[in-house]
Amino acid sequence: MARFSPFDIQARPNYLLGQALSFVLFVVCLGLYIHTSKARHQENPEDRVVPSAAQLRAGIHSSALEPAEEDDYIAPEGAGKWERFRHSMIWKDTASSGKRFGISLLLFLPAILLALHIGLYPYFNAGFMRFVLFFDKIVALSLLPILIIVFGTDELSKISLIFIGVAPTLILDVIQMVKAVPQEQVVKSFTLGANDFDVTYRVVLKQIMPQIINSLRLNLKPIMLFLFAGEMIAASDGLAYRIAIMRRHMGMDVILPYVLWVALLLFLVDFGLRLVNKRMHPWFQS
Amino acid sequence: MLVALFAFAPRAQAAAPPTFTVGWSVYAGWNPYFYMQKSGILKKWADKYGVVIKVQRFDYAASLDSFVAKNIDACTMTNMEALDMPAAAGVDSTAIVMGDYSNGNDAVLTRNGLTFDKLSGHKVMLVQKTVSEYLLERGMVMNGQQAKLNTLKLINTSDSDIAPAFLNNKGNEAVVTWKPLVSQILEDKSVHSIFDSSKIPGEILDLLVVQTSVLQRPDGSGERFAKAITGAWYETMSQMAGGPQQLAALKGSAAASSDTLESYKEQLKTTALFATPKAATEFTTSPTLKQKMELVRQFCFTHGLLGKGIKSVDDVSIAYPDGSVQGRKDRVRLRFDAKYMQAAMQGKL
Repeated sequence: MARFSPFDIQARPNYLLGQALSFVLFVVCLGLYIHTSKARHQENPEDRVVPSAAQLRAGIHSSALEPAEEDDYIAPEGAGKWERFRHSMIWKDTASSGKRFGISLLLFLPAILLALHIGLYPYFNAGFMRFVLFFDKIVALSLLPILIIVFGTDELSKISLIFIGVAPTLILDVIQMVKAVPQEQVVKSFTLGANDFDVTYRVVLKQIMPQIINSLRLNLKPIMLFLFAGEMIAASDGLAYRIAIMRRHMGMDVILPYVLWVALLLFLVDFGLRLVNKRMHPWFQS
Repeated sequence: MLVALFAFAPRAQAAAPPTFTVGWSVYAGWNPYFYMQKSGILKKWADKYGVVIKVQRFDYAASLDSFVAKNIDACTMTNMEALDMPAAAGVDSTAIVMGDYSNGNDAVLTRNGLTFDKLSGHKVMLVQKTVSEYLLERGMVMNGQQAKLNTLKLINTSDSDIAPAFLNNKGNEAVVTWKPLVSQILEDKSVHSIFDSSKIPGEILDLLVVQTSVLQRPDGSGERFAKAITGAWYETMSQMAGGPQQLAALKGSAAASSDTLESYKEQLKTTALFATPKAATEFTTSPTLKQKMELVRQFCFTHGLLGKGIKSVDDVSIAYPDGSVQGRKDRVRLRFDAKYMQAAMQGKL
C-alpha cells in the first residue's frame, strides 16, 4: 500500500486518530475559555463575564433545580431531583419556548402543502409565486413594530414572526423540489389513470417528503433565531426571555448553561427528524 | 474567542499623553457630554491636565458591558446599574460626578384610570430589572399595595418597541417607561400618569462612574483625567444654566439625541440637574444619599441583581465621602467620591 501524507485526499486516518482529531477543536475552545477565565479571575476574583467552573456549577444548579424567581413554588421537604427539575426555571422556560416552537412547526404544514400546489398547478403558480418570491426577500425582523401593532405582544406576534421569517424560504425550497420531479413521471401517472389528487399526494409529495424534512432540519436554526428575537422583545417567560433578563446583570453563569441547553435541544430535534426520515424513507439517498 | 480578544486587548498605554475613554448614552442628563466634546470644552480641560479624553456614544446596555469588561475607563450610568453591573461583578467603581436625579423622567402610566390598588392581576409592560421596575415597586409600596406586588403580571418589553406596543393595543393597561417615550405615550388621551420619579426624588441618580483602578494609577494620570472631566462638566453645566452660551449649549445637547430644542427643554424640566458643583457636593455628602442607596441596594438584592453568588446584601458594599461604609468593610465595590466636585466648587481645578 502506498503511503500518503496526511493532507492527501486518499489518506485515511485510522479510527482512533479520526476520533481524536474530531475533538481537537473542542479541546482548544475549552482551553481558551479556561485560560481567559483564569486570567480574568486573577485580576478580579468576582468576574462575571467569563464565569469559572464553580460559578457555572452554581448557575446550573439554580437554573435546573430552583424555581424561577417570579414563581411561588417551594419544593416540599425531601423533594427529589426530578421533582425539583419539573418546577425549575429552565423547565418552565423550555416549556413555553417549546410550545411556541411546536406551534410554528405545525403552521409550516399548510405552507408546505401550498408550496406543493404552487409547484404543480399553474394557476396556483400564477397566483402565488411572484408574491412569495418578493416576500422571501423581506427582512422579517424589520417588520416587528408592525407585527406588534397588529398581533399584540402575546404569543401570536412571536409565532407570526417565525412564520413570516421562515415560511417563504421553506415554500421556495419545496417548489424547487417539486419542479425537480421529472415531468415524465407526472405524465406517466396520468396515462396510468391517476387523477390530480394521486399525482399531487401519492406521486410527488411522497417522493419529495424526505427532502422536505431535510429542509426543515436546515431551517431549525432560523426558526430558533426568530423565536429568540420575539421573546427578547416582549415576553414574560421563555429561554430567550431569561437570557435577556440575565444580561441585565451579566448573569453569564446562567446564560452559558442556557445556550448549551438550547444547542442540545436543537441537536435532539435535528437528530429526531433525521431518525424519522431514515425510518420512513429507507429508500432515500441524499 | 471575542471574549479572549477583549481580555488581551491592549490597555491605554502609559506613554505620553495617556488616553482615556468615556462612554455615554442618550439621556437628557447625559446629552451634555456630546456638547462638551463638540464645543471643545473637553479638549481645553484635557490639554490643561495633559491627558487625551475620548468620548464615545454607546447604547446604554453596551456601555455598561464595555465598562464591566474594562474596555472603557469611565461611563455614565444610574446608581442602580452602578451597583448591580460593575460593582456586583467585582469591578471596583467610583462615582466622581453626581449629575442629576430623575425628577419625573420615569413614570408609571395606565389606561382607563387604573390605579395602584386595582393593578393586581393586570399586565404591566416594562423593561424588567431596571429603574422602571424599581419605580413600579416604590409606587406600589408608597400606595400601600406592597402585599400585592407578586400579583402583577410583568411583561418584559424592549424599550425600542414599548411605546408602539403599548399604544396600539387597548388591551395593554399599564406601562412603566422613561422620557421621551413617556411623552409619546401620554399623547394618547386615555392614558394617565399615576406615579413618577418626582415622588421619589434623589433615588434614581445619574452618575459618571470611573474605574477605581484607573483613579489609583501610580503615575497620577487617572486623577488628572478625573479632574479634567469634572472641570469640563461643570463648565458645560454653567453654560447650560445661563449666559451667552446657553442657547448653543442647549441646542448642542439636544442634537445629541436628535431632539428638538423644545422637546429637550421639556425633558430637562423633569431632570433635576445638579448644575453647580456646590449642589452636587452637598447632595453627595448628605445623609440623604445613604438612605436612598439603602432602598436601591435592598431592591437589587431581593431581585437577584447582585448575582447568584451574593448571599447577603452586605457583600457588595458602598463607601461614602465621610468614610462610612454600607455593608462589609472588606467588600467595598462602589464608592461615592466628592473630592473632584469639591475641588470644582472651591475653584481649585
